[in-house]
Amino acid sequence: MSTVHVSDWNLRWSRWLGQRVTLAAGVSILALFIFAAIAAPLIAPYDPIVHNSELRLVPPSLFHPFGTDNFGRDILSRVIWATRIDLQIAFLGVIFPFLIGTILGTISGYFGGMVDIIFMRLIDVVLAFPFLVLMLSIIAILGPGLSSFYIAMALVGWVSYARLIRTQMLVLKNSDYAVAAVSLGFSNSRIMFRHLLPNAIAGSIVFSMSDAVLVLLNGAAISYLGLGVQPPLAEWGVMVAEGQSFISTAWWITFFPGLSIVVLAFGLSLLGDGLSETLGARQ
Amino acid sequence: MTSPLLSIQDLTITAQLAGETRTLIDHVSLDLAQGEILGLVGESGSGKSMICRSLVQLLPSRAIKISGGAVMFEGRDLTTLDEATMSTIRGSEIGMIFQNPTSHLDPVMRVGDQIAEGIRYHQGASRAEAKKAAIQILQQVGLPDPTRQHDNYAHEFSGGMRQRVMIGVALSCNPKILIADEPTTALDVTVQAQILRLLLDIRDQRGLSIILITHDLGIVAQTCDSIAVLRGGKLLEHGPKRSLLAAPKDPYTIDLIASHPSMPAPGGDAPEEKPQAAPPIRTPSAPLLEIDDLVVRFPASGNGLFSGTGKFVTAVNGASLQVMHGDTIGIVGESGSGKSTLARAILGLTPLTSGHVTFDGIDLALHRAKALAHLRRETAMVFQDPYNALNPRLTVGDMLAEVLKVQNKTTGDKLQSRINELLDLVGLERAFAGRKPSTMSGGQCQRAGIARALAVDPRLIVADECVAALDVTIQAQIIDLFRDLKQKMNLTLIFIAHDLAIVRNLCERVVVMHRGTIVEQGRSDEIFANPGHPYTAALISAIPDINPDKRLARLDQVLQAEQVVFSMGDEFPATINKITTRELSL
Repeated sequence: MSTVHVSDWNLRWSRWLGQRVTLAAGVSILALFIFAAIAAPLIAPYDPIVHNSELRLVPPSLFHPFGTDNFGRDILSRVIWATRIDLQIAFLGVIFPFLIGTILGTISGYFGGMVDIIFMRLIDVVLAFPFLVLMLSIIAILGPGLSSFYIAMALVGWVSYARLIRTQMLVLKNSDYAVAAVSLGFSNSRIMFRHLLPNAIAGSIVFSMSDAVLVLLNGAAISYLGLGVQPPLAEWGVMVAEGQSFISTAWWITFFPGLSIVVLAFGLSLLGDGLSETLGARQ
Repeated sequence: MTSPLLSIQDLTITAQLAGETRTLIDHVSLDLAQGEILGLVGESGSGKSMICRSLVQLLPSRAIKISGGAVMFEGRDLTTLDEATMSTIRGSEIGMIFQNPTSHLDPVMRVGDQIAEGIRYHQGASRAEAKKAAIQILQQVGLPDPTRQHDNYAHEFSGGMRQRVMIGVALSCNPKILIADEPTTALDVTVQAQILRLLLDIRDQRGLSIILITHDLGIVAQTCDSIAVLRGGKLLEHGPKRSLLAAPKDPYTIDLIASHPSMPAPGGDAPEEKPQAAPPIRTPSAPLLEIDDLVVRFPASGNGLFSGTGKFVTAVNGASLQVMHGDTIGIVGESGSGKSTLARAILGLTPLTSGHVTFDGIDLALHRAKALAHLRRETAMVFQDPYNALNPRLTVGDMLAEVLKVQNKTTGDKLQSRINELLDLVGLERAFAGRKPSTMSGGQCQRAGIARALAVDPRLIVADECVAALDVTIQAQIIDLFRDLKQKMNLTLIFIAHDLAIVRNLCERVVVMHRGTIVEQGRSDEIFANPGHPYTAALISAIPDINPDKRLARLDQVLQAEQVVFSMGDEFPATINKITTRELSL
């Protein structure tokens, strides 16, 4: 696989990567999108916002590989610019629920008793409402826009993470090394966050990848309903919504942003699978 | 000897791992005669299970292949058979029983049906016939009420009863060979004696051959006709039991026999000079630890908002004990006897229901906060399962450094030298500071666990079954380490074990626990020589001795009463060990 000259670290790294093709594929797809987001001004051939009435609804061609929309904007450029917003949605829409859920789940599982009962009933209440209905009503109260979307995600999405972590905590807090930590006089917060959480969190990290896919689709759905990203800003969900009325005559308006969602979702799923292999094996 | 029933010839098994080929089994040849019990002995990793799995082509991974040799059974070479033919051999010709019956019995199928299934599949019997046969088999393996217990599920039985059912399943198809892979390792010593007795009886009744895989030479000495010693995939020695035990040739076998913690024959231990034989002269001072009428109860089920039946399981019931400074005390008893709970109660890791635990003059029940603070700085615990006891994410060095920092023992520049010192003390190379538990063996992990305990500079160490999960030779090393440390550091040691031989070997005083109460305590040699309580006597007589002429005692009379309790399964679920004592699924 490698020559003798390759350093030990490199050898291990390449072997590690070689064993985990899924992970590598997921990372590459995500890297591609991150590159597109960062380099958007450099690689996007046209301005994503400016209208050009002479170039309306041009089908995919050499100059416009993804075609143009009803305002004459280049779809490829818009898809590239939209990467910025969609990655932001996937990241921020996951990180807040992840943090809140992890902390509450850790506390709930570790201490048990009354604290646990209260948190678990709270989770039951949140879960009692259909996910999208709850989100839509929160966004409706806060007013449309991405920040409302993030707040709604944080308020609704944390329950899954809290449950995952809590279950792990319930198991781990009875493990011998947790008992050992207690017997050595370590403080509760040290045991919880330094000893137990790193061992409990693998499942949540894997879940967060597939959760990012759902958040992405939710973000697209919210934007599609006009409650998220507002036109003329480019976002894949918005673009799909805009192209909907031309679906029979100009399929490319809907198709390429939709394809981007699918590919990114696919990449995140691969990443999640790959991570679960890596983290699950514990080195 | 007549022609063997099974003949393993030059068997070689290799594994393909990351491009390299490793030889797991190296040209092993063995014969098994009709009605013979063959003992395969060796440490974990020696390949004893691998050989047996290869007989029925149940190798654990596709990367592992039989690359040479033959296994002749009734004129056929088992290594060349295809999957379909093999599946008629498995079960009907060669039956298997395993170490952990809990995970090898179907939890949602009645035990009788599990036995009947094989009878119907292999012998084409009708449903009613199969049921009748199943009940008969259950009776044969010693279930007290086979007709009723036919309809029970695996979880309703105790460990020993489950192993009996497992044997029943293996017997259901009338195999010619029974492979028993550490069948008693997960069981208490008295139950172990019963199961071994059962295997012998079955051999006598049915004339089948048994391959018994074990790490305990005592078991082999008691049950087997011939012994094969394996190490690192190589067959070191193979021969009839008596000649092999009397005159071992290979240095490893000699070492294995020497390190067996078997009871020295009464009166025969004179040449062994024991350092603890002369009790140290004690100034009449207050005991380091005093337990007075201690009771620990747990709620029997759920403690949620509305659940909770109000029922309690009493794990420790009125135990009283005094531990003087510098004592080494062994606590023995079967699983569920409350010894682990007692240990945790001493260290303040489990709430006390009533009674007193006084450590160094401070009462845990009266001044909980003060006593706990004191306990945390002066005591440490060593655990059973060496892998579970260490945080898998921390290196050994980080783990020790954390203890030293949190306890304000050492800081700054001295930290590294103190860590090195601790590693030296427990006999680990200093390079281990940078390693994580997953890259270490069980024995090394246990040494790291002991180093963590020593980092506290404890006056009292409580070791809870700390060698139970280790191989025999490693066990002996860890015991030596404890003896060594005790002398060097003037420690007080409470050593909990199910293995009486080890306790006798290490401890000057022994405490016998049974169902939460202390039934007997006193000096080890006195108790082992003249057990005062029938339960202690039963425990002692159940230990398989390495001398084949010292027969396994018939325990039926002593244990008649016990058996009823064992068959009731969850009567004493209070044991804290989550994996049943002494069983390690690694």
